Amino acid sequence: MAAKSKVLIVDDDSDYGEAIKLLLEKKGGYEVALAYDGNEGIEKVKSERPDIIVLDVMMPVKDGYTMCAELKADEKYRDIPVILLTAVASHIAETPYTPRMGMETEAEDYIDKPVEPKVILERIDKLLKK
Amino acid sequence: MIIKEVNILVIDDEAVIRDGCTKILKKEGWNVDTVENGRDGIELIKNKFFDILLLDLMMPGINGMEVLQEIKSQSPSIYTIVITGYATIETAVEAMKIGAFDYIAKPFTPDQLRLVVKKALSNKALIREAEYLRAEQEKGLHAIDQEKSKIRTIMNCMPNGVLVIDKDKRIALYNPIASKLLNISGDDPIGKDVDECINCKDLSIMISDTLRGKSSHNAGIVSEIAGNDAIPLMAHVAPVVMADSEIAGAVAILQDISHQKAVEKMKSNFIAKVTHELKSPVATITQQLNTLLEGAAGELSEEQLKMIEKAKLWGVGLIALISDLLSISKIEAGMSIQKKVLLDIREVVYDAIEILKPQAEDKKITINISLDNLPKINADREGMKEVFVNLISNAIKYNDSGGKIDIYGERDKDYLRISVSDNGFGISREDLKFIFERFFRAKNKKTRQIIGTGLGLPIIKEIIESHLGAITVQSEEGNGSTFTVSLPISEKPLIREGEPVLTNY
Repeated sequence: MAAKSKVLIVDDDSDYGEAIKLLLEKKGGYEVALAYDGNEGIEKVKSERPDIIVLDVMMPVKDGYTMCAELKADEKYRDIPVILLTAVASHIAETPYTPRMGMETEAEDYIDKPVEPKVILERIDKLLKK
Repeated sequence: MIIKEVNILVIDDEAVIRDGCTKILKKEGWNVDTVENGRDGIELIKNKFFDILLLDLMMPGINGMEVLQEIKSQSPSIYTIVITGYATIETAVEAMKIGAFDYIAKPFTPDQLRLVVKKALSNKALIREAEYLRAEQEKGLHAIDQEKSKIRTIMNCMPNGVLVIDKDKRIALYNPIASKLLNISGDDPIGKDVDECINCKDLSIMISDTLRGKSSHNAGIVSEIAGNDAIPLMAHVAPVVMADSEIAGAVAILQDISHQKAVEKMKSNFIAKVTHELKSPVATITQQLNTLLEGAAGELSEEQLKMIEKAKLWGVGLIALISDLLSISKIEAGMSIQKKVLLDIREVVYDAIEILKPQAEDKKITINISLDNLPKINADREGMKEVFVNLISNAIKYNDSGGKIDIYGERDKDYLRISVSDNGFGISREDLKFIFERFFRAKNKKTRQIIGTGLGLPIIKEIIESHLGAITVQSEEGNGSTFTVSLPISEKPLIREGEPVLTNY
């Protein structure tokens, strides 16, 4: 049996992280690690070596964009796919957290919070298969 | 030169002279008064106006020189001709030094007298005419000066920058604010080419377009540009149109909008904060319910499942309401957030469908798209995406499982028409009137369970109208609905008079 893929969830809202973690473990069969801000996220990337990262955008200390940019600038971690998650609605333009998918971030995907179980499972699966 | 009436006074102690002068001068039509001494003469001059004074210098009592001095200080406009008994040049010269106009020596002939008086009169007339002309000229200059200074004062006191350009794109006029906002350089920029003195490409393009008559209805072009030191400016450039419709130049009004920009930024930050504080908890609750519903935290009984499903719907509804409220506050804050670009509407529709795919698949709804060979339009990408996400999402929500949606686009003269049709529930005749009103929701047995905020259609209507477009609806209860969006096709930026619609160059 192939080893389980590992997902790192980075979200300052631990309840949100736990809810996704439970879903991914039970329904996706993934191994899941949690981090609560960008700095911890970077540490966990190094120690846990996740196969994919689900990253919240609005976080204290270091936000998701910054963390994503740092990973994508490092060739050791560049290839780990990143899914950005945010509660800022995509049509609200020009806030500091306005989705910048495909423009200023190199994240592979972007999903609005809350996310339908089916959607997040599908998107993770798709990115891992690439 | 017409002098209506000439009054002459003769002061001489000799009766022969007085009588002789009177006789000669009256024949010319002039009024003559005579007195026999200086004191009487001075008194008379105080009470009566005289043009000419014939004054004997050698008189008993107060002598001619003294009279002359007194009269010069009292009535300087009188022309005095001195009569001297001794034909000595010295006394005459001395008198003229004090202010006498001329002299005549006794004895004199009638002709000599007439001649000297006429000379004085014509000289006086000449001086008067010169004075009149000078006064007129001064009045004119004064008026011109006042008009100029009025314009200058108004220009200098205006809170906005003003720049006037002639038809050859040379600077005709500008005020200090314009100079400050644009950093107008050069010793004397008046008459010089705009591009020589102002380093602002956006403004230069706006001026060129205006001079070439590119602005519609002469209302001018409005755009946000960066001025000196990257100060954000709202620039309004309007053509100066002459009676023959020729464009004689352009006037640019520049407003410093850094304050508005700062407020806008504060507002954006506030909105981001509200979103985080309000929306995030609801997102978390919904996510927790999602995980429960999936059975990831243990199998649920049918009743638990039902209740949690309903709770989740409330969560989803709240999220939609928060998003819509934020969206509407954003729209009401002004259209300045819009960034209009040349847009392929087909891409936008495909993006919208991508977002809604899960919902459509859930209900097994098929979507047919016919959007080939359509012209591009000038529009805000996010705004247009919201329009089509909204319309397609409605077509999915207000439809039965296995339903159908047709998206069809065509060019109709200067407009692009995109229609979104479904074969869903349709809208009743009564409800149709209200569907673009805020918080209105069609309620019947079929729609009661559908989560919505009643803000979607009002929001997209505002977005479409801000693009100078229109949205119409055709529907019949039970027979589906067709929403048609019309948007103007324009290679040029959209301009509407009096409204700061931003354009992208």
